Amino acid sequence: MKPITTYFDSDGRFESLGERLGETDRSALALAAISAVIAFLVISPMFWLLWRASTVDPARAYGLIVSSQTATITLNSVLLMLAVTLFSILLGVPLAVLTTRTDLPYPRFWTVVAALPLVIPSYIGAIAFVSMFGSGGQIDSLFGMTIPRVDGLRGATFIITLYTYPYVFLTTRAALLSMDSSLVDAARTLNAGRLDAFRRVTLPQIRPGIAAGALLAGLYAISDFGTPAFMGAGVFTSTIYWEFSGFAVEYAALLALQLIAIVAVVLVIEAGIGSDEDASGATGAGGAIRLGAWKWPAMGFVSLIGIVTLVVPVAIFTNWLVRSVGDPIPALEFQAEFAANSVYLALLAALVACAFALPVAYYSGRSNSLVARVLERATYVGFAVPGVVIGLALVFLGTRTLPSFYRQGVWLLVFAYVVRFLPQAVGTVRSSVLQVDTATLEAARTLNAGPLETFRRVTLPLILPGVIAGGILVFLTTMKELPMTLMLQPIGMDTLVIVIWGAQNALAYRYAAVPALLLVLISGLTMVVLLRQEGYGVG
Amino acid sequence: MADQASDAMVDRRRFLGYTGATLFGTAALAGCTDDENGDGEGADGGNGDGAAGALAEAEPLGEPVDSTAVSWDDLGDLEGELTIYSGRTPDQIDAAFEALEDEYEGFTVSRNYADNDVQVNQLIEEGEATPADLFYSQDPGALNALEGEGLLQELPGDLVDAVPESYRHPDGVWTGVTGRTRSIQFNTERWEGDAEDFPTDIMEYATDERFQGVIATRPNSGTFRGFIQAMVELEGEEETREWVRAMVEEQDVQLFEGGSDQAEAVNRGGDDDPIVALGNSYYAARILNEDPDAPIDLAFTENDAGCLFSVAGVGVLNDLEDPELVAEFVRHLLAAEGQEFMMEANGEYPVVEGVDYVGELPDLEEINPPEFDLSDFDMDLQEAQNLLDEEGMTV
Repeated sequence: MKPITTYFDSDGRFESLGERLGETDRSALALAAISAVIAFLVISPMFWLLWRASTVDPARAYGLIVSSQTATITLNSVLLMLAVTLFSILLGVPLAVLTTRTDLPYPRFWTVVAALPLVIPSYIGAIAFVSMFGSGGQIDSLFGMTIPRVDGLRGATFIITLYTYPYVFLTTRAALLSMDSSLVDAARTLNAGRLDAFRRVTLPQIRPGIAAGALLAGLYAISDFGTPAFMGAGVFTSTIYWEFSGFAVEYAALLALQLIAIVAVVLVIEAGIGSDEDASGATGAGGAIRLGAWKWPAMGFVSLIGIVTLVVPVAIFTNWLVRSVGDPIPALEFQAEFAANSVYLALLAALVACAFALPVAYYSGRSNSLVARVLERATYVGFAVPGVVIGLALVFLGTRTLPSFYRQGVWLLVFAYVVRFLPQAVGTVRSSVLQVDTATLEAARTLNAGPLETFRRVTLPLILPGVIAGGILVFLTTMKELPMTLMLQPIGMDTLVIVIWGAQNALAYRYAAVPALLLVLISGLTMVVLLRQEGYGVG
Repeated sequence: MADQASDAMVDRRRFLGYTGATLFGTAALAGCTDDENGDGEGADGGNGDGAAGALAEAEPLGEPVDSTAVSWDDLGDLEGELTIYSGRTPDQIDAAFEALEDEYEGFTVSRNYADNDVQVNQLIEEGEATPADLFYSQDPGALNALEGEGLLQELPGDLVDAVPESYRHPDGVWTGVTGRTRSIQFNTERWEGDAEDFPTDIMEYATDERFQGVIATRPNSGTFRGFIQAMVELEGEEETREWVRAMVEEQDVQLFEGGSDQAEAVNRGGDDDPIVALGNSYYAARILNEDPDAPIDLAFTENDAGCLFSVAGVGVLNDLEDPELVAEFVRHLLAAEGQEFMMEANGEYPVVEGVDYVGELPDLEEINPPEFDLSDFDMDLQEAQNLLDEEGMTV
């Protein structure tokens, strides 16, 4: 709520406004310049793609673009992205409403349950489900009950949705917690039904939150390689990898550019849906919806999701631990160092991503200019490009720019993570910037605080929860990232997922169990920290 | 754990001894080198084209390796650090690296593991700036791809001569270290009959109605494309296209993205899972290693692409700090103990005469793989892949 006095700030009002404009122009320009540099840095790997793709014989390139195979994978990819987005909204929004707006018992516990699937790498989920479901699967052999096998495009949609809907859940939840619920109460007093009030009052307010989460879920779906490949769904990522594995990097680059073109369209469309509405406003607990007898089905619903997404994989890892007795494979033996490396890399990536996200998000949250919007959107491109593509691009750029530092230290790998995961931080920081009441800033400025001082003393404390939330999202996704880690880690610096990868290749799953359980444990604890930030810009 | 493994290795080594050439070894290798397409030129002449890298001149520090396998004790000491990019997985070769590090104080191997294809692409993008000294690959196709980019250098003459010509590049720019055959994996509980009841001709797998809807393969691997190339050479392109087309359209082949996933599916044996799969034999061996009662077994075709013998091998990158060390390291891989480590860890076949194959699989003599010169055999991967793309066998 804007302090009313700001409207009556009389003394030297025009003069100070003039001064302020001058200052604002200068600082806005600096901000734009910094944002532009960051946006340029994170899209720089795409120049490698352009260069690689340009070496394809034009006739062959044209043939590839118009081929029926390209049409099929484009259709499949778009379907996968749309379906995952839709189902993520259908799962994430009700869960967010349940845990924030109702009298569901133990809301904190259910919030953790609903958010936790984000920490499980979807390819591990895929392995778990394939061994669990279907005829001959573990459920079949334990209970003699056959649950249809999940595979193909439907299977990939199912698995990816289960492990990415938390993006929507988290952002919607944050929007719900920070919206002005007195409006809902007002609508209710005007005799609007619950659903009607939700549709006409709540939904418009949380729409940017839903859109932000849905965008992350959709982009993740289109860039995920492991799950569609495992499920045998022909999409861009698996076809790009197929061309790579035939050492036809330039065709793979061409396909990756087509993928980026599709993503660009999505980013533009989403920019329209999740458009800037000033989300600032008073927050109030409001009246919780009384579930009554619906309490039980509601808890059943959240438990079911928790069992399917969390209990099943964890049970399977544990089973791996006790099940098999093969010859020892010393190379896969667990070492505490793997966990330390994972945490160290993820922390660095989170810190750098936050540092990069701040200016871009602040600029685009404060300015409605096209430039600000374009720069912000540019940072999303990396999130939609498969890790193996970004990895190869950075191998090329890294060896060309700083050959003597290549694979010496972690800088290139951390940069790769930032290229890939920056939008998660930009998104959360930006929405917390949108929630900062401009009047507060103006008040600070009238008290003669400079722009930097205002930022440091007023804005930063207000958006800090959003920054931390963004950092944690980057941390979580970095922990589970595989292909870029394999390509760019300092030689010999193994992480949890690298060992899981080795164990899975060797079919020696017992060696994957401890790292997989640790990955879930560390990420789970981090998620609890994230949820303690509640009420602020998680989204 | 590490100690246990190396103890087992030592026992195995003692047990095997270095018994010299066996009948099987010489027979199989003689068959393979007696290759009608062999163009004769190449390594033996060692006709250095002037651009020979420093490596080719790296004299043995101890004994040179030869085709009857020398012991590590006869070779020179290893000292220093090597950086190896490996497309093979840690379980397959790490034991050998570790044994060498144990044997030589002051010798370390910096290992970088990743998927075989990723490593090749990475090495190509890195170019001369690569930190790698050596690339240890799953298959000749990957090594040929690097050779095509001019990234590999010639190996020393004694190394090249130690390995039969069919298992290495003719100019000695890469050499096979161990070999394996393609095989038919099957689920013993769901397959009616035994290993004898499988056709011994790979072409029949596309027409035999028993395989309809229950056969699988994994088309996106280097060895699969090698298999397709071999089929083109042996049966002709039209027949190969027809085979691929029939597998897709008539047999409704299930396609897997990974060799492990495929073997797991055969082993799982659910209604929707394949009963029979075309793939490398070691996946089944690994499952049996984890669970000796697993219902998975192997059958082999005879003298055709279905039992193609292929190698995993090493190529050395251009820019080296210590060519002597690299050369001596490769000598260690080709010496008796190096070969035995691979047999032990992967159930693979040795490529050096004088090392007996000891393991669960039938001898190569029984399988009778086609006599192919892997080096002369030009694995044009793009061509094989185009064929698969055109006939719709893609994942």
